[in-house]
Amino acid sequence: MYISRIEIDNFRNFHELRIDLSKNNVIVGENKIGKTNLIYALRLLLDPKLPEADRHLRLDDFWDGLPRPLDEKAFIRVSIDIVEFENNESLLALLAEHLIQPEPMISRLTYVFKPKANLDTPPKKESDYEFLVYGGHRIENRIGYETRKWIPLSLLPALRNAEADLASWTHSPLAPLLRAVISNIQRETLDEAVLEVTKSNEKIAEISEIKSLAEQIQNSLVNSVGEKHAINTSLGFSPTDPDKLLRSLRLFIDNGQRGISDASLGSANLLYLTLLTLELERQVAEGERSHTFLAIEEPEAHLHPHIQRLIFRDFLKTRDEGEDTENSSTQTILLTTHSPHIVSVAPLKSITVLRKSDDGMATVGMSTAKIDIDEKSIKDLERYLDTKRGEIVFAKGVLLVEGLAEEFLIPKLGGLLNHNFDELGISVCSVNGTNFFPYLKLLGEKGLNIPVAVLTDMDPQEGKKSLGLTRVGSLLEIFMDKDTVDDISDGDLPKFAENWGIFLNNSTFELELLNSGHKSDMCSALAEISENGAARARAIRWNEEPKSIDKEQFLKDVEEVGKGRYAQRLASIIKEKICPDYISKAIIYVTNKIP
Amino acid sequence: MSQIKSHKFYEPAYLKEVQDLLKNSGQREAYNSEVNCVVLAGPGSGKTKLLTLKIARLLHEKINEPQGIACITYSTECSREIKKRLDKIGIEEKRNIYIGTIHGFCLNQIIRPYAKIAGYPLPDPIKVVDSENWNHYFSRAACELGIENTYQTITHFGWYRRTFIDKSSEEFIMNNKRISKLIINFEKILHEDGFIDFDDMVLSGFMMIKEFSWVRKAIRARFPYLIIDEYQDLGIPLHKIVTQLVFTAGVEIFAVGDPDQSIYGFTGAEPNLLNSLAESENIKRVELKLNYRCGEKIINNSLISLGEKRNFESATVDSGKLYFWEYRNGVQEQAEMICNEIIPTSLKNAPGRNLGDIAVLYLDKFDAAVITEEVKRFGLNYIGGDKNVRYKPTPVTRWLEDCASWCSGGWKIGDPKLSNLVHFWVNTRNNIESELDDKLFRQLFINTIWNNRDPSTPLDQWLKNFIEIGLIENLDNSQIRVDEIESLNELISSSSNLDKMGTFNINLFGKQRGSPDHLNLVTLHSSKGLEFDVVIMMGLEQGRIPNYRISKESDSFKEERRKFYVGLTRAKREVHLVYSGWYETSWCQIFKNGPSQFVLELLKIE
Repeated sequence: MYISRIEIDNFRNFHELRIDLSKNNVIVGENKIGKTNLIYALRLLLDPKLPEADRHLRLDDFWDGLPRPLDEKAFIRVSIDIVEFENNESLLALLAEHLIQPEPMISRLTYVFKPKANLDTPPKKESDYEFLVYGGHRIENRIGYETRKWIPLSLLPALRNAEADLASWTHSPLAPLLRAVISNIQRETLDEAVLEVTKSNEKIAEISEIKSLAEQIQNSLVNSVGEKHAINTSLGFSPTDPDKLLRSLRLFIDNGQRGISDASLGSANLLYLTLLTLELERQVAEGERSHTFLAIEEPEAHLHPHIQRLIFRDFLKTRDEGEDTENSSTQTILLTTHSPHIVSVAPLKSITVLRKSDDGMATVGMSTAKIDIDEKSIKDLERYLDTKRGEIVFAKGVLLVEGLAEEFLIPKLGGLLNHNFDELGISVCSVNGTNFFPYLKLLGEKGLNIPVAVLTDMDPQEGKKSLGLTRVGSLLEIFMDKDTVDDISDGDLPKFAENWGIFLNNSTFELELLNSGHKSDMCSALAEISENGAARARAIRWNEEPKSIDKEQFLKDVEEVGKGRYAQRLASIIKEKICPDYISKAIIYVTNKIP
Repeated sequence: MSQIKSHKFYEPAYLKEVQDLLKNSGQREAYNSEVNCVVLAGPGSGKTKLLTLKIARLLHEKINEPQGIACITYSTECSREIKKRLDKIGIEEKRNIYIGTIHGFCLNQIIRPYAKIAGYPLPDPIKVVDSENWNHYFSRAACELGIENTYQTITHFGWYRRTFIDKSSEEFIMNNKRISKLIINFEKILHEDGFIDFDDMVLSGFMMIKEFSWVRKAIRARFPYLIIDEYQDLGIPLHKIVTQLVFTAGVEIFAVGDPDQSIYGFTGAEPNLLNSLAESENIKRVELKLNYRCGEKIINNSLISLGEKRNFESATVDSGKLYFWEYRNGVQEQAEMICNEIIPTSLKNAPGRNLGDIAVLYLDKFDAAVITEEVKRFGLNYIGGDKNVRYKPTPVTRWLEDCASWCSGGWKIGDPKLSNLVHFWVNTRNNIESELDDKLFRQLFINTIWNNRDPSTPLDQWLKNFIEIGLIENLDNSQIRVDEIESLNELISSSSNLDKMGTFNINLFGKQRGSPDHLNLVTLHSSKGLEFDVVIMMGLEQGRIPNYRISKESDSFKEERRKFYVGLTRAKREVHLVYSGWYETSWCQIFKNGPSQFVLELLKIE
């Protein structure tokens, strides 16, 4: 079971938020964008620990964009759609009454904060408002503690001090697990173990050195406060009361060699999350609840980026892979973060990005849950996010390019034309080939909805249609049907494709650059970096006589060095404020789309 | 999860009561059964106790929340009784426990949550039509088709609708084209105005269960166990619902009933439905033969009247006694002598016996008027009787009786429970308010009931306090309780009428059921499920019981026998049979057929 959709109207940062979710979710967004508010909205519906009085919101909880005084029809609404519960009888028993669609089943829970029904005057004060929580389409079908206690949203506090929490009986998630086990232990078995421990305790206490130390402590106590007030002390490694004995059980790591306090911060956190997960599973197994929505807010606090990646790579991925058997996924995760390190290891379809709407008035959400691409492309994109540390998700605009050469040089070219990519938030991403398709899906309107342009080479083929035109044609099919694309002549296609952010050159990137007027810098770079004497000589000659450049040979020489390495070098010296046309058009296309 | 969840410091209350039950082999078998089970429960066999303890066992040992249990009863009165008994062993109504009628079940657990999303053609929102408007729609529907609106048409209409449920079926269309058209037209104009009627609830509920597998799945998840009381009274639609739920959806059933006590044939009930369920595959059949109520003699005589062989045993010491009283001057004399001779005799027979231990059973409202007048003339305290004098028992009037009983001292001992009274009050409100506002609404009621705890308060004055805090408005807003508002209005008007209840204080009002010093006046039909030390049956003339219209060969004749049998088996120790040998109809025709043949059959043995 999971929440497949959230809709929020007029609550805090949100005007009309609509997001689709998948089983586990990583919600990213910059500070103050409303990540905490999103979780709070869910708590209004699902957190049994939230006091009822707090469910009564305040007037400042209405979205700022609503004109004040508030219109008498203004309301706040939070609703969630829940899916994939129909094969679990306990969940079905709980959610059947709230169905909005029978096949496949979707149930909806809704929270509303609105003016009271029978007011004589327009609502003014908070007490003129009321909240209600209901299921399905029926406002009279009210939901309270009796429902939310079975599918609670549990808010995990920031993982500040996992190590200390693990060590204490009251805070450790190990405690309830142990307690549950203890209640099943046969009393005789326990007594036997206690006897053994007592014997060992006594044996140690009998060692003369220890014994005399114990006496020394006791005597000293008596001397200082007298018999009456002295507390009775003894030395041992464990209390001998059966219940207390079990409470003194501790987790050890490395085959019992070291205690938790010696664990690295990363392992302690991982251990904490694992124990917590087990505890939540236990609660479901024992019928105390039917499902847990685990909300984890900003878990990256105090964690080194490597540790963030280490912990959450496993924590998030293993969950998505364990598919839908009846007992699997008794918990689903909503994790908020502004850490690119966590995003970079998140399953692709779990990502939701919160950002400002175009007019800057509200927060909108984009998610990857419903993008439709094949498994292989998903894996590719995940790998890409991983190596690029999730950068693309945080970009305000993206230029998709074929290779490293463009990735090194285009930001530089942009800079020369006074487009500072860092300031604008534009990322140049190499797809390492020409398969732009999954990237466009990820960034497109049904995905993260980030302004994006594709820069691709014509790659002419002798006697045949160029590879570039074929490529552009098939990319256009993302936006329109095939027949429409086929109707466009090859001559008109490049111009037409620009409307959809696809920019095609006439040859290849390096040649375009060369033709645009960077000959001198390009030859110097080649001369500097080439290890081939003949090539070096050619480059120096071409630099003196640009007209003599043999383009085919030039390309070969660059390829010999390696396009990427060459581009890296070129980027550091290039200085002419000129740029191939298709590149400057693409930059302007994306820049114009950034709000 | 088959073992009892054990608690060190707490043993569930039902486990104590179960000890008694387990001594009876039939009850033990039914209580412990782990499969579908039909219990054929003779009169006085302790079926309600079995039923409540079975519910307790399922809830404690078998069911894990949020799944739950549905218990279907014949009437709201029966569900009150079960709720009350469950309450005593610490089981309160919750979201996962449904106890109520089949109509309520279909409306609130099937139609309201699922009809709309299933695209099932019913109005939305749903209002339930009251009887006056029902008649209006029926005559309109009949008139439009040029069909004469007679009593027979209405009866046949109802029977046909409940028997051939599926409107797309051949049998529905072909059996009687006139009636099938009438049904379709009636439902069309009713639904157009946003109304449904009581039959609609059950028929639509059945059709939805039958047509949509996801509805069955949802019901099975919410209520994996279905308990049914008085199965024999519930008719074909319920039987079909049960069949679908048990044999298609896999719900486990525990049904209790007694074909011998099936006396509601006019509603479509048939005794053979329970028998056929009991004979189905994968159903355990248990018979309860031990009668804890009636003396041996009463049992034996009642079986003669029933005309069937049953191996019932009496568990009581007193063998019981039958008296025959012939008053030749007609029903008026019967009524007079009941007050003057029979009741005093009966009181003398057993020292310590009170008026409350005695019930007079009569056949119809004409006899009711006669006996009520007579009882009043003799100055006897009574409850029940002529409905025109008082008010109809509905959930609202019953709840007010409970409130009165709480105000008259019940508050000191916590019986009835205040929380239950408050719960009902909160549920009267069906309109949309916030959760916080509910607290104020509750408080209003609690203040009112608390401030009126004086047993001597006159009834009409006491009622006014509840009207002031909005009782009637709430009911008006709650859409489905039109009939209840009518009966509440009856109560209010008779509380200020000196001929009716104008002299009542709330102490008296609160004792309307089970008061030790009030004679019980009950129709034979509604005596089912009740028991009294002494039963006086009056008006037992041939032609009235069995009814002159019923031929000896028909199935209905057996129902006449069962009716008489039900009357006899209400008694623990004494049955008084009263007759004149003739009777006068409401159209003043006199029939002299002698006493009822059922009386004569018994006289023969004496």
